Amino acid sequence: MVSVLITFSRITILIFVMVFTLLDVIQIFEAKIGEDLSGIFSTIQSIMVVCFLINGSIILYYVKEDPRIIILAIFQLALFIAISISMTKLNYGKSGALLNNMLMLLSFSFIALERLDMSRATRQFVFAIASAGIAILAMLVLKNIKHINRKLFIFALVGIALLLIVHFTGKVEYGAKLSLSFGGISIQPSEFVKLTYLFFISGCIVTYKDMRGFLFSTIGAALHVLVLVFSKDLGTAMIFLVAYVFIIFIAYKNYIVLSLEFIVAFAGGIFAYNRFPHIQSRFIAWSDPLSVIDDKGYQITQSLFAIGSGGWFGSGLTNGQPNKIPVVTKDFIFAAISEELGAVVAICLIVIVMCTSIMLFNRAFACSSSFYMLIINGIAIIFSIQAILNIGGVIKFIPSTGVTLPFISYGGSSLLSMFICFYIAQCSDELIYINKGRRRYD
Amino acid sequence: MTKKKTTKKAIRKEIYVIAIMFATVFIAMIVYLSYYVKEGAKDFIYNSYNSRFSAFSDDVTRGSIYTADGHIIAKTSYDDSKQEIRVYPDERLFSHAVGYVDQGMAGLEAYYSFDLLKSHISLKDQINNNLSGKKSPGDDLYTTFDYETQVAAYEGMGMYDGAVIAIEPSTGKVVAMVSKPDYDPNTIATYWNDINSESNSKSVLLNRATQGAYPPGSTFKIVTTIAYLRANNGNSDFSYNCNGSLKVGDFTIHCSSNKSHGSENLLKAFSNSCNSAYAYMGINLNKDEFTETAEELLFNDTLPTQIEATKASNFSLANSDDKLVGQTSIGQGNTTVSPLHMCMLVSAIANDGELMEPYYADKLVSAEGDIVSQTDEKSYGQIMSDSEVDLLNEYMEAVVMDGTADSVDFGDLKVYGKTGTAEYTTNKSMTHSWFVGYAIDNTGKELAIAVIMEGAGYGSKHAAPLAAKVFNAYFQ
Repeated sequence: MVSVLITFSRITILIFVMVFTLLDVIQIFEAKIGEDLSGIFSTIQSIMVVCFLINGSIILYYVKEDPRIIILAIFQLALFIAISISMTKLNYGKSGALLNNMLMLLSFSFIALERLDMSRATRQFVFAIASAGIAILAMLVLKNIKHINRKLFIFALVGIALLLIVHFTGKVEYGAKLSLSFGGISIQPSEFVKLTYLFFISGCIVTYKDMRGFLFSTIGAALHVLVLVFSKDLGTAMIFLVAYVFIIFIAYKNYIVLSLEFIVAFAGGIFAYNRFPHIQSRFIAWSDPLSVIDDKGYQITQSLFAIGSGGWFGSGLTNGQPNKIPVVTKDFIFAAISEELGAVVAICLIVIVMCTSIMLFNRAFACSSSFYMLIINGIAIIFSIQAILNIGGVIKFIPSTGVTLPFISYGGSSLLSMFICFYIAQCSDELIYINKGRRRYD
Repeated sequence: MTKKKTTKKAIRKEIYVIAIMFATVFIAMIVYLSYYVKEGAKDFIYNSYNSRFSAFSDDVTRGSIYTADGHIIAKTSYDDSKQEIRVYPDERLFSHAVGYVDQGMAGLEAYYSFDLLKSHISLKDQINNNLSGKKSPGDDLYTTFDYETQVAAYEGMGMYDGAVIAIEPSTGKVVAMVSKPDYDPNTIATYWNDINSESNSKSVLLNRATQGAYPPGSTFKIVTTIAYLRANNGNSDFSYNCNGSLKVGDFTIHCSSNKSHGSENLLKAFSNSCNSAYAYMGINLNKDEFTETAEELLFNDTLPTQIEATKASNFSLANSDDKLVGQTSIGQGNTTVSPLHMCMLVSAIANDGELMEPYYADKLVSAEGDIVSQTDEKSYGQIMSDSEVDLLNEYMEAVVMDGTADSVDFGDLKVYGKTGTAEYTTNKSMTHSWFVGYAIDNTGKELAIAVIMEGAGYGSKHAAPLAAKVFNAYFQ
């Protein structure tokens, strides 16, 4: 009976995800298709999210015979409703395409984690509730800070200080210093520094209209990146670097500076390659993983076995062996999804991530303050590059960098920082009105 | 309002420059992932580190393996206690080709394990099977082997160790492949320890047809001939006066039985398999050009085939003195080849110089008869010129008509070949018996073959008559 359910669900899950994805591609052109149509699509998308979550939960419940899964599913739906209401309240009823994407990514995360590791799934759900609460609070705080763009040096100091603390006291994981431990809870400060970093760079550019903006932001960015490089957190260093380069490009529209910065970044990459043996070993694991399958290539080969064995339509949820992949709940969760739900669903997931990225850029484009325009661009860039580094590493498109997949990988710090990012993107116009004492425009 | 929009667009168009850059990378990843799932995964996931195979057999019964003409050579059956067992009805006949599943898998059973354990029957039936707790039937694998031809090759080997491989030149389809000593895949588990014990030096599990490393003996004169032609811009003028041996420094290369062949052109030297003439020819070739030709003829690199786990042949003249170059030219020295490699060379000659990559896994068919996937014929390209092929055809025909193989009865078939008698120890009376060549019947159908019988003696006495039997079985 259970195996029939799984076989049947291979089709239904595929349909839910594909319908969602198809509408998502249309929703990129939100501004063109009109509010009414977009609203209908959003509603259908929300239904698909709910169907997907319920379908996955039912399979997991029958296979694991664990009542916690049903309880979790109910609370997850309640959380989704709470998030939807809070976002609508905060931004006066904008269409929910971006919101739907965030909820879909969260659903993928909940189902994958419940399948892989029940205790982590429960904790991740608690993190999600906390993150939503903190993000709403953060919006209320941001609304009430006057001239937030002029507080740029505070953001820079806080950011660099946090990174330095990690550098000197953090514990080493997979060859890099990433996290701090407080009484059993480990946090990754670099996830929050991403936010202060964006506020700092955008603040510099908006506050100083002359060369000082460029100069200060460059020095600040360089300091951040250097500390990260010396902590050997090269994945994050790369994200910061790319975010800086692209924000500067959007702000100053200068193709020459863009090319120059690419050259500097490229040279930096070569320097890092020669300087750090653990980057070299990741390159070897990428170029010929079977030659080091016992050692450095083990993880990526297991990931490719999982994706390849799952094939286009997957082995069916709970039928695969994704737990063979080391760190599957964090960096390699995409492979677990692809193995059991199939490469077609995995490809849909890439499309959903791509559409999310474009919708974030849409939000930046439509934003009425140049300060938040830059920040939302930064959020879009960080979200995109992180997804590319993660998925690309899992499918052997690029060497693995140990970066998490936004909203889907296990980990509270990354989840919280992404929540805040998406709330900012969704509610930016509200944040500005209060700041500037202006209420409405048409 | 519209004006405001256009200015915003003009000011912020860089945002979309970045957005499109990212979107491009996402799309590239989708293409890459699709390509991996469609093509790359097939080669990648057949790995002993991939533990997922065993899980498939819970829902699917492993499919059968067939010859091209529909004989079952491996199937899943049930023992007295209703447990699934793998049965090989022809026992040893296809042992190296089909492999085994006990003891960690080999051969087609290993390379197609994944596909044999996938079911492509209709979803409705799969769900029905699921409901009634039955397993779905896995896909069947059809090989390119011809049953009667395989039997002729297998029985023709008799008591000898060695290998036979026969290929259809125009497609690359392997029609027969035998390697001896062999094993019975039905019972391999029971004498597994015996096979692998250190005292057992016979390498029963080695597929000699694809992985053997034999001295090529006189069959290598095909390569030396092509090297000579390429060194002389295709000009086949050659003359040599053979008195039965050639002195190279203090070393003497003898013709077979010390026979003195007298005055010879290239045709005569080839059809007489004159060692003195070929040693003389090889010593006077430029070493680098000789090596280059050998490498163009697939030496020193992985063979271009669609067959898994083949061994590369070795050819090297580095640090060779005249004595060694002379020996190499007649297929002794350090050169080693696999029977598959020699068969590919004659197959290319038969196919006007174009090499078709050999394969023996033809197609996967679902239990309902739908073709799931099919191996495409693949050309490696032209490895010999038209004029080289014309000359070699003339020479190989002479070998059969009035050369070393003129005593062999090939019936009505038109046969082109080369015999070989390869020394493999310092004891010159111990020799491997080689025959490589191809046959055409009156309808234009062709078959290329390489035969080696270990320690059997003259190529014309043992290997060539076996080739004749295989041809007869195939062209019936």
